[in-house]
Amino acid sequence: MSLDEVLMVTALGSYVLAALALLGYFFMRQEWLRLFGMPLAILGCAAQFAQLIARFELSGVWPLLNLYGSLSLFAAMAVAIYIGFAFRYKLWFAGGFVLALAAIFLAYGVTWNEGTMPAVPSLQSYWAKIHVPLVVSSYAAFLVAFVFSGIYLLKYYAERAFARAPVARFAVAGGGSLQRDTPAMAAAATAGSPVATWFGALPSLAALDTIVYRAIAIGLPLISIGIITGAMWAKEAWGAYWQWDPKETAALFSWIIYLAYMHLHTRHAWRGVRTNWVSVIGFISIIFCYLGVNIFISGLHSYKI
Amino acid sequence: MAPIQRNLELVVTRVAGLYDDFVRTFGNVLFAVSLFVVWGILTLIGVIVDQGKEPAVYFATYAAPIARAILRLNLDNVYHSPWYVGIIGLILLSLAVCTFKRVIPARLPRLHPVQIDKIPLHATFEANGDVRAVRDSVATFLSARGWQMRERVFGGVEWTFADRHNWARRGVLVAHLGFVILAAGTTLYWARGFSGETAVLTGQAVEIPQTHAVLRLDGFGYKIQPIMTKSGMVYQPIDYVSHVTVTGNDGVARHETVRVNHPIDVDGTLYYQASYGFGMRFRVEHRGRQATEISDRTLLEGDSFEIPGSQRSVSYERFVPTVDRQSGMPSADPRVNNPGVVLGVVQSGSSLGDALVPLRTWIDVGDGWRVTPQRYVLYSGFQYRFDPGVPLVGIGAFVLLTGLIVSFYFLPARLYVRVDEAGSGRCRVGIAATTVKGYDVFENVFERLVVALKKRPGTADDAAAGGADWGLAT
Ligand code: HEM
Repeated sequence: MSLDEVLMVTALGSYVLAALALLGYFFMRQEWLRLFGMPLAILGCAAQFAQLIARFELSGVWPLLNLYGSLSLFAAMAVAIYIGFAFRYKLWFAGGFVLALAAIFLAYGVTWNEGTMPAVPSLQSYWAKIHVPLVVSSYAAFLVAFVFSGIYLLKYYAERAFARAPVARFAVAGGGSLQRDTPAMAAAATAGSPVATWFGALPSLAALDTIVYRAIAIGLPLISIGIITGAMWAKEAWGAYWQWDPKETAALFSWIIYLAYMHLHTRHAWRGVRTNWVSVIGFISIIFCYLGVNIFISGLHSYKI
Repeated sequence: MAPIQRNLELVVTRVAGLYDDFVRTFGNVLFAVSLFVVWGILTLIGVIVDQGKEPAVYFATYAAPIARAILRLNLDNVYHSPWYVGIIGLILLSLAVCTFKRVIPARLPRLHPVQIDKIPLHATFEANGDVRAVRDSVATFLSARGWQMRERVFGGVEWTFADRHNWARRGVLVAHLGFVILAAGTTLYWARGFSGETAVLTGQAVEIPQTHAVLRLDGFGYKIQPIMTKSGMVYQPIDYVSHVTVTGNDGVARHETVRVNHPIDVDGTLYYQASYGFGMRFRVEHRGRQATEISDRTLLEGDSFEIPGSQRSVSYERFVPTVDRQSGMPSADPRVNNPGVVLGVVQSGSSLGDALVPLRTWIDVGDGWRVTPQRYVLYSGFQYRFDPGVPLVGIGAFVLLTGLIVSFYFLPARLYVRVDEAGSGRCRVGIAATTVKGYDVFENVFERLVVALKKRPGTADDAAAGGADWGLAT
């Protein structure tokens, strides 16, 4: 096996194990699972970046110009952003989902590995080194936001279920956002419900919502710069910064969704379940833009010459 | 006179009412989001429905009613449709109204007293010392942590206001302004810019109609590298280069090289390497006699010529750089090595068929006519564009990004502090916080701040003060 392959296998293997450990941690809250999973996540992420660098060093070709390279960076950045968030805000519980998605995207990316090829003329530009990492990193930030939105929605609908259950009649005293935004769950936990206790250990809805906002606040400027640098590159390569190519248009569509998210988030009444659904739709649109457009729409990003 | 005046008043009231409605609607963020939704849907339609195709393509792809709707609603060219231009116009209008009527008043509020315990993020605690001393100590504490302090008296009560990242309150305005500048830059291209495409055969020159610049192609070259990949041979293009002589407004001829990603600038208009192809000279003869008029022309791929005295025409459909010598079929190799052409013959509008004809071999097209592809000439396709909006678009993009970064990464917050006598040498400190993004984002910071504030020397400890009271109301 070449160095390149060894690193890729290390990354993929670490992600799978880290995903299993951290999913276990999510459900069982066993500390040792977290202590096992997080270092593996870091190892996998480091192996991925090392792999991308090794590939560049060995071939001299910028490794992000095909789906294999770009999906690889996508997975690595998603894990890196997650690790940053996890250490900053103590969010170990969400790691399993991020790592599972990273492992899936990375494994899918490996199926696109055609070996190294020199870039076609339109891709031979310093813009490739700026535009692609920016766009892919924005997708990664949106993936992290998507995972936290998913957890938000899970907790939100669980609270609604608890509110319908008879135990919700117990009133809860005290402040703190945890009791405040999930009172039925807190009441059920007091009444001894293990599921409610389990949910109660997750951050409050308000805190989850803030995390989603923060992840999107990373993704939106990145995708904005990504689209702008893409337009500059297009201008240099094809003579027009905007050609309404399906790929650039799909990116604009995602940008509009996240812009709507940001605006809705300024309204108290819309912050929460609705904005988190917008984040979920936003990520679906990202996947459509990233992979769907390539697969379903013809004649896209036709690099002309 | 009186009825006229009454009518006038009525009209004025009506207009004022309409104006209020307009401001209320266009100044509402939810209205803006609805516009975004429509903008998003129109954009998505353009991704899903192929753009700029012939009507027949839509009828072939979709059921007739859908195809008709696509054509009638301009969805085949959605980005230049009245809908699209209209929605961008509405967004800009709403942006302007909202910015002046809502964002500015909300983001730059004047200093005013509040009811501390009515603000969800608040705390009260007791401290030792007189009012002046405690107020000064709180102010010193906060300003040491970077808070900008201001004091005002309202109704005889002295208030202390502390602001963090106050300047960043303008981030939204900057982002909105950036979007407007960007939109202005794009509009400038629509109003004053132009673009076009031209193909120049090697050795020939063309005049660009809009600029009168003359572009002569001295030579065109390409480099293509065969690479064995896991899924077979791939012919990877490495370089395309046009050597040209250009004559601009000053009448001076200059030699230039145009490559992909490296356009040239002639009097402010940029010329890009966009495509290339193979022009073809045909020898057309009838029973041994050459039809010189046709034979003297160089045809580009897609061109056709009439067979004199017949209803028949021959089209030069495409160039095949490499015809496989064994199978006689086109190969995937785009490098020229045993070339041929695909010719189509059309009789009175209907196709009689296609044929692959190797170079310098003839084909009989009926009635004693023979066509021989003689010689190929490379041509280079250039795209040219004059865009006076580029600097504005650049500035707009920069301003927009600055606005986004300021809005997202700097959270302006304001603390309202009020210190009152609580008897026997003690004071009650009331502190409340607001931010431009609600309370949740600031809850932890506020909690830590209050804890630290209470630990200042001279402050009664938590238990003695009866416990802090902070948190968020539902
Ligand atoms: C119809 C057009 C628009 C309207 C009416 C509008 C209105 C608003 C309003 C009312 C706010 C909240 C301000 C506050 O609560 O203090 C806001 C925030 C913001 N807007 Fe817009 N906006 C529009 C378009 C845009 C566009 C096109 C962009 C960017 C390209 C943009 C970027 C932002 C940003 C970055 C924020 C701050 C969000 C945050 O801090 O979380 N807006 N906008």
